[in-house]
Amino acid sequence: MIDSLIIVGITLTYLAGVLWVGLRARGQQNSSLEGYVAGGRHVGVVILFFILGAEIFSAFAFLGAPGWAYQHGAPAFYILAYLSLVPITIWALGPRVAALGRERGYLTQGDMIADHYRSKPLGFLAGVIGVLALVPYLTIQIAGAGLLFQAATDGLVPFWLGALLAFLVVAAYVFCSGLSGIGWTNLVQGIMMIAIAWFLGLSISERLYGGVGEMFAQIQQAAPEYLTLPGATGMDWGYFSTAVLVSAFGGAMWPHLFMKFYSADSGKTLRKVSVFYPLYAYLLVPLLFIGFAGILVFADTPLARADTVLLRMVMEVADFSPWVIGLMLSGALAAAMSTGANLAHTAAIVLVRDVAGPTLMKGASEQTVVSATRWSVLGLSLIAYLFALANPASLVLLLLGAYGLIVQLFPMVIGALFMPRLRRASVMAGALVGSLAYLLMDFVWSSPLGWHAGVWAMLLNVLVVAVWQGATRAGDAALSRTQHS
Amino acid sequence: MNKTYHWLVGLHFTLCTLAMIWPGALIANRIEPMLLGLPFLFFWYILWMLVLFAGMWVAFVVRHGGRHHD
Repeated sequence: MIDSLIIVGITLTYLAGVLWVGLRARGQQNSSLEGYVAGGRHVGVVILFFILGAEIFSAFAFLGAPGWAYQHGAPAFYILAYLSLVPITIWALGPRVAALGRERGYLTQGDMIADHYRSKPLGFLAGVIGVLALVPYLTIQIAGAGLLFQAATDGLVPFWLGALLAFLVVAAYVFCSGLSGIGWTNLVQGIMMIAIAWFLGLSISERLYGGVGEMFAQIQQAAPEYLTLPGATGMDWGYFSTAVLVSAFGGAMWPHLFMKFYSADSGKTLRKVSVFYPLYAYLLVPLLFIGFAGILVFADTPLARADTVLLRMVMEVADFSPWVIGLMLSGALAAAMSTGANLAHTAAIVLVRDVAGPTLMKGASEQTVVSATRWSVLGLSLIAYLFALANPASLVLLLLGAYGLIVQLFPMVIGALFMPRLRRASVMAGALVGSLAYLLMDFVWSSPLGWHAGVWAMLLNVLVVAVWQGATRAGDAALSRTQHS
Repeated sequence: MNKTYHWLVGLHFTLCTLAMIWPGALIANRIEPMLLGLPFLFFWYILWMLVLFAGMWVAFVVRHGGRHHD
C-alpha cells in the first residue's frame, strides 16, 4: 500500500510538471488559427524534432516493442528499421509541403488536396477518413494510460481514473496552448522516455544476467532461434520487408505527421530534423533489451499477453524499488500522452477545417474556427475516453482499415507536390481501387505471397493511376486530331 | 552538381532501405560474430541507423551548410 502510494505520488508529480510546462507555453500567437494549429509556422529544429519523434513513439512503441522482442525475437527489428527510415519521407516531401503551405495558406492535408485538384469533396473525404483513423488511435493511447496506471499501482488507481487523469492533463494543455503546448511538453516527455528507457534496459539486463553481452550469450545457448530471422514464430522475409516499407513510407501520410510539415520555420529546419531523426530510433534499443531479457525469464510460464512483458519485468522480476516503478510509469505515460496530445490536436483541426469547414461552418470567422477547434479537442478526447471505457474490439479494426485508406492518399499527395500532370480523375480512381483492394485483402481474402496487404494495394493504386493517365492522354490526342481534321 | 547530388542522396536512401529489408539483411542474418555484446543481426540494424544518419548529415552540410542556400 505504501509502495503504491509512492508510485502514485511520483506519477502525479510528473503529471503536474507536464501540465505546468504545457500551460506556460501558451503564447501570444494562440488567438490566431495559424498560431494555434501550426505554431505560426515558426517552429524550430529542437522542438520539431521532439514533436515528430513523440508522434511515432506511442504507447504501442513503449509496450509493444519489448512485447515483440519477447514473443518473436529478431522480427522486432522491424520497428527499428521502419522508424529509422521514416526521415527519408520527411527529407523528400517536407520542404515542398512547408513551402506550399506558407505560400497558399494550407494547414491540413485536405487543404492541399482540395486546392490542388480543385475539388472540395476530395478534401472533405480526406478529412472524414482522417478523423476515423485518428479517434481510434487516440482511444488506444487513452486505454494504454489507464492500463499502465492500474497495473503499476496494483489497482490503487483504477483504469477509468488513470485514463481520465492522464488525458485531462493532455486535453488541458492542448486546449489552452495548441501546438506550442504540445511542443514544449513533448520536449520534456521525450527526454523522460529516453532516460527511463535506457536506465531500465541496461539495469534489467545487468541485474538478471550481469550485462547485455552475457544476456545474449545465454539466449544463444538456450534459444538461438530468437536472435535471427525468421525468429521464434516464423515471420518470413516477404512479410517482414513489405511491412517495413508500408510503415516507413506510408507513415508520413498520417495527418498528424504530415501536418507538422506546415509548422516548420523553413525547409532547412525540416531537413535538419530528418537528419537527426534516426537517432531518436535508438530509444527503442534498450526497450528491445527488456523484451529479450524476458525470453529466458518466462521460458517455463509464457505470458498470456506479450505486451505486458515490460511491466512484469519491472514490477515482479527485477525487484525495483517503488521509486523506480513510479518513474517507469511516468515514462510509459509520457509515451502515451505525447502521442495522444498530437492526435487530439490534429483530429480537432481536421474535423473543424476539412469536415465542418466546407459544410456546417461555411464562412465562419477565424475567431470562431479557433474556438471551435479548441472545443473539438475536448469533445474528441471525451469521445475517445468513452470508447476506451467501452473498449469495443472493433476499434482496432477501424484503426487498421482507416490507416490502410490513409496510405492510399500517397499518389494523390505526390501528384499535388511534384507531378502537376496527374489528373483528378486518375488519382481518385487509383485511391479508390487501392483502398478497396486493401480492405478486401485485410478482411476478406488473404494477401498474395504473404506480403503486407498495403504494398499490393499501393501497387494496384499506382498501376490504375498510370493506366488512367495514359488512356486520357490518348483520348485527348485522338480528340484534338478529330478537331483539327 | 544538382543532378549528381540528388542521385547520390537517392542512392544512399535506397542502399539504407535495402540493407534493412530483403535482400540486404539476408547477408547479416546470423548470431556470430557478436559485436558490442549484440548478436550480429541486431548490431547490423544499429550500424545502418548510424550510416543513414551520417549520410544524411553529409548531404545536409553539402546542400545547406554554406550561406548560399537559405
